[in-house]
Amino acid sequence: MADSLTIRRVSASPDAFIPIDALRSGGPSYAKLVDIGACIGCKGCEVACKEWNDLGIEPTTNFGSYQSHRDLSPKTWLLMRFNEVEIDGNLNWLIKKDACLHCEEPGCLFACPAPGAIVQYTNGIVDFNQESCIGCQYCVTGCPFDIPRFDVHTRKVSKCNMCVDRVEAGLEPACVKTCPTNAISWGSKSDMLALADQKVERLNARGYENASVYNPAGVGGTHMMYVVPHGDRLEDYSLPSDPTASPAPMTALGFLKRTGAWLMGFSVLGALVHFIRYGPERVDDEEHDGE
Amino acid sequence: MASDRLLHRFSFTERLVHWVVGVTFVLLLATGLAFAHPSLFFLTSLLGGGPAARVLHPWVGAVFSVALLAMIGIWIRDMFLDTADRRWLKALPAYVTRDRDNVPPAGKYNAGQKLFFWSQLAFGVLFLGSGILLWFPSGWGASTLQWMRVIHYAVTLGGGVALVVHVYLGTLAYPGTARSMIDGKVTERWARHHHPAWKPEESPRT
Repeated sequence: MADSLTIRRVSASPDAFIPIDALRSGGPSYAKLVDIGACIGCKGCEVACKEWNDLGIEPTTNFGSYQSHRDLSPKTWLLMRFNEVEIDGNLNWLIKKDACLHCEEPGCLFACPAPGAIVQYTNGIVDFNQESCIGCQYCVTGCPFDIPRFDVHTRKVSKCNMCVDRVEAGLEPACVKTCPTNAISWGSKSDMLALADQKVERLNARGYENASVYNPAGVGGTHMMYVVPHGDRLEDYSLPSDPTASPAPMTALGFLKRTGAWLMGFSVLGALVHFIRYGPERVDDEEHDGE
Repeated sequence: MASDRLLHRFSFTERLVHWVVGVTFVLLLATGLAFAHPSLFFLTSLLGGGPAARVLHPWVGAVFSVALLAMIGIWIRDMFLDTADRRWLKALPAYVTRDRDNVPPAGKYNAGQKLFFWSQLAFGVLFLGSGILLWFPSGWGASTLQWMRVIHYAVTLGGGVALVVHVYLGTLAYPGTARSMIDGKVTERWARHHHPAWKPEESPRT
């Protein structure tokens, strides 16, 4: 099961947009499957994440929710969001395990200008390499799920790394290991997709006719997927219904960069060509001036 | 008769402001291109490497903005285009191909220089506006910030090309021009040739 980390994509490199597909055959592609309906809201996964990744305690206050903290932070990579929504006259806790979804087409990696600061392994994990991070926070704007968090003190961005050090050693991520109800499953992406379909069928049989798998195509699918009981209420779960890794402005920026480099080069070239055609226009040169 | 007599074209203040704008812009352009193009990432070393360049780029931008504002304040009066400038612009092909006889006489600044000035003003506003959002990115929303990156980069291209033209014309193309930004002086012969309608007694501005 142990899987050496083969790199698939590297930020700010020629390979960022064109994955190194030749290497993909090297190892399995993993996925985490979160069965929201099986979650009892114990937040054991939050604690396990803190413990394994040594993220430390962040004091919080009671703000009228079962939720531990208001938001993700550089020291809180996983937050169980407890959205209280009324459905058919009943209060529902629409719980979302808020952490990096590890997109197949990672918007953060595409947006990153620092070579090597974000890498995607062939196993699907998208990892931040803080040594190379320059703190520009472009990844924050590139992420369709609002996951990366900037630390103002270290000027580095961090997020869930899918316990890459555990996965490399053949172990499941800490949150998966600790979940008491098996609401979080771990395995190959294809196995998890098959399991997700089974779970959706079971939910359908129980009357959740809109149950669905959250594996959005706009980002090429994700390596953390959800089984959503109320699949018609994605926004109520704080799940974007149509996330994309290449929104219009980023496409425009990519086009500008490809043409812009040529434009700059040609302006220098144009000046040189003008110079060798017309030369310097001397006026202080007595001989040339003919005075 | 045109001579080697030196005319005072730019004051110390004008030259200082020009060079603050110039040096900061080159630093901003280099580090900005480094952030935009991975193959140029090594240029971040001009400001101490990636993380340091990311911290300093906005501060250099702040100095640039203040100096640009001063430059605008000093020169704006001379930069409004009049009918003579419009005639000059129509003769731009003749200017580019060195067909001097068909270029209307320019005053202290020709229409090209005036347009360069206004492009600087427009670029400066766009740089500053988009740059402030990118400097303090929290709370604006991803889409807005992405568009700010587009604007910031598009203006970089405009400013970069303008810089190439500016430096080329001021150095290689027209010898005798660059010293106006060093000791502030040009020869009378230079003035008669490049800016026949300039009245040197009105210069410099400050």
